Amino acid sequence: MEIKTADLTKLYRVGSSEINAVNKVNFEVKEAKFMAIVGPSGSGKSTLLHLMGLNDYPTSGKIFVDDADASLLSSSERRKIRLFRMGFIFQTFNLMPTLNSLENVELPMALAGRPRKEQREKAVGLLEAVGLGKRLLHRPKELSMGEMQRVAIARALANNPEIIIADEPTGELDSKTAKEIISLLFDINRKEKTAVIVATHDEKIVKLADTIYTIQDGKLLQQ
Amino acid sequence: MRLLTICFRNLFRRKMRTVLCIIGVALATTFVIAVGATTARYATVIKEMSVLFSGQVMVVSKGAIVIQAIPITGSMLQESLAEELKQNIAEVEKAVPILFVTPIGLEEIIQPVPPNFSIGIPVENWRLILGPTPLRGNAGHFPTNESSDEVVVGASLADQYNWTVGTGIIVRGYGLEIVGILDTKLALLNRCVIMPLKLAQEIYNYPRSVNIISVKPFQGCSQEELADVIEQRVEYVNALTEDERNDMIQPVLAQVETWNFGIQTVVFLMSLILVMTVTIMSVSERRRDFATLDAIGAPLSYVFRTVIFETSLIGVFGGVLGVAFGSFAALVLASLYTSIPLAMFFPTFYEIVSPFYMLEIFLAVVFVCCLGGIIPAINATRMRIAEVLRAEY
Repeated sequence: MEIKTADLTKLYRVGSSEINAVNKVNFEVKEAKFMAIVGPSGSGKSTLLHLMGLNDYPTSGKIFVDDADASLLSSSERRKIRLFRMGFIFQTFNLMPTLNSLENVELPMALAGRPRKEQREKAVGLLEAVGLGKRLLHRPKELSMGEMQRVAIARALANNPEIIIADEPTGELDSKTAKEIISLLFDINRKEKTAVIVATHDEKIVKLADTIYTIQDGKLLQQ
Repeated sequence: MRLLTICFRNLFRRKMRTVLCIIGVALATTFVIAVGATTARYATVIKEMSVLFSGQVMVVSKGAIVIQAIPITGSMLQESLAEELKQNIAEVEKAVPILFVTPIGLEEIIQPVPPNFSIGIPVENWRLILGPTPLRGNAGHFPTNESSDEVVVGASLADQYNWTVGTGIIVRGYGLEIVGILDTKLALLNRCVIMPLKLAQEIYNYPRSVNIISVKPFQGCSQEELADVIEQRVEYVNALTEDERNDMIQPVLAQVETWNFGIQTVVFLMSLILVMTVTIMSVSERRRDFATLDAIGAPLSYVFRTVIFETSLIGVFGGVLGVAFGSFAALVLASLYTSIPLAMFFPTFYEIVSPFYMLEIFLAVVFVCCLGGIIPAINATRMRIAEVLRAEY
């Protein structure tokens, strides 16, 4: 799966002023690459990820998914791409609080209409792979932050995505746990050949990335 | 993971709020069932009275209020008028004088639902009011013309006071003997003490007076023709045909039904607003969850269904509780209004609150709760992760 942007721009109106969160960004997500977008808070990292993840609409410019113009896709088609071809990891984990680890990981598979037996087997496998084989039936409030992020990673992998979009995945974690999560993401990228694009401040992630982008005031400054 | 399980867990994330909402819906349902079943029951009782005196013209004093064939107010008529009608009007085949007495309360006010009635009727005309009604267990007999203290009573009265054939009772100081118990489904007859006309006149101090005369026309003569003739000949009476009697009660029944519908509508609207408010709050609190579902590609229909399912569950729980409480409340109301002990209503529970009515109200409550979920569900489908996260920061 390839995602390209052409002069991608996103403006927010705050009161009478306009904020250029993403300003004419040209960017390309290549298959099986590990990419990092770095920049200070408010520089537009998350906005760019949301646009590329088809979770938001640009003010101007284009996004191409496998050379297809995303602006021509229906809401339902965009959802299908997010469900079947992308995996999302959030800084604040965004797990469903009423579901246990297993159910959280099963959720995208259930939404994709996979058989229940397959959902269960895959979810158990993924949770074991991220080191949570003994925390299957724990709800998020019973897990540590590192464990929650592992569940979120397992959830992101549930439908075998071609790309994982991670928005500051280590932002809420201590350095030891952050290191484990980074290494987990890196392993996934290497073993599964899944493209990983990470918005981060974390130097350790930056060091591992194949490509590093810097964004400031909405502009992608250097590669 | 079944949607139902997810919704159930979501609902009970805020236990107190959900329980209070369910109680609110249950109270509304209780009110609807209790009021609806009570009014429906009385409408049924009034309608079933139409089988009494079928095909007869009822003569009452002018201005008397009559419910079906039962005079509620109005002046008395001379018993001899029955004989005069028969003698002087060729169209009259039979004229039977009857005395209906409803008990008067302590304040000299007629009770809204009298606990019993006394009916005095010439003994040779029992069948006119009782039709083919048998006596319970075929025990006893109907009073004879010679009897001065024999009465038959309705089964409900007999059961309430443990009367059997042969039991002696005292009415207004007169010692009477029960010689038969009526085996009937008609609510009116079930609460009646039926006695010879002369005995009733003596006990209730209406010498040679009655308040209604049942007139049967000769074959070939319509009730309308006979009623017209009677009203022309006797100026101080109203002669009511079967249709006229029904017409008198129809507006009242229609008004009762309109009020009942109005009350139900208001109560259901309040439930809808309650459910909608609570669910809007719940969706607003869980906007991050809904936005996450959107981000990971959940179809809009899934998000919509989740919220609608949750409000439906409130309707199901509230409806079940409300139907149970409301049915019991309807029995309590029936007991209070009729002064009949509550326990006596249990065997006829389904006559007071029919299973169909319970189901109808239950489904209506669930439907209303579903409706209450529509706006919150639409809100939930509009949650976008970018906007939610931006708003949080």
